[in-house]
Amino acid sequence: MKHQAKLSQQQQHIETNQSQSQAGQDFANSDELLRFDATQITMPPKIAERLKQSVGILPPPTASARPWWKNLLGQ
Amino acid sequence: MNPPATGPSPVVAAPNQWSAPEFASLYEEHSRAIFYLALRFFGDEQKAEDATHDVFLKAFQRMEQFRHDASVRTWLYRIAINHCQNLRQSWHSRNVHSNADDSVWENSAAKTDSPLRVLETKELGQRIQKTLDSLSEEYRLLLLLVADEELSYEEIATLVGQSADAVRGKLHRARKTFAVHFEQTA
Repeated sequence: MKHQAKLSQQQQHIETNQSQSQAGQDFANSDELLRFDATQITMPPKIAERLKQSVGILPPPTASARPWWKNLLGQ
Repeated sequence: MNPPATGPSPVVAAPNQWSAPEFASLYEEHSRAIFYLALRFFGDEQKAEDATHDVFLKAFQRMEQFRHDASVRTWLYRIAINHCQNLRQSWHSRNVHSNADDSVWENSAAKTDSPLRVLETKELGQRIQKTLDSLSEEYRLLLLLVADEELSYEEIATLVGQSADAVRGKLHRARKTFAVHFEQTA
């Protein structure tokens, strides 16, 4: 339902934009332009490498994020 | 057009801790969206890399905080927005600005692309960045979020802490402003 409303508004927006100043020659609106832009980006592989190292050196996440001072004070 | 937002990804099935394959899957599925948001938010590839790394590291550490009433993508965006805004505030006082977007665009075009195509793609990216930089942070964020087809208006509204109606109204103005400013970059 909510997506239909969004879809409808987007279609309305496209129609509006087509009669107005267009964001780009090949794009109906800024949404399309930015979506295209996102597809042109190459993910730097070093992020995954860094993340792998960072996660590797971390202790495994625990269910309780109890502060150390609470453990110390027995609270 | 944005398809219906999917529910929580299967990769979050583990209760309190990511397994390595699950986390790798999470990264594979969502890292591009987070990186793109950070890249266009900051206009700086290095900052976007750092932010993306930090966002996923936080996600890894905070798995137990993930509430399954939201999609994992929305959760990641929440972390990313907070992280980017905090960094922006801390950098703002130092007034560090970079337009070092070139390397991304030099790398982004396929190797088979003609020089003209490479140039066009790079120029388009620079125009988009320049246009986004000219907008308020609120407009920039809204435009970047709505460009993600996996997010509904309601999810965007939740992410920015406003009503869906308010988001619709602001998006209308943001798109118009973007279009005007984009034309001016030609």
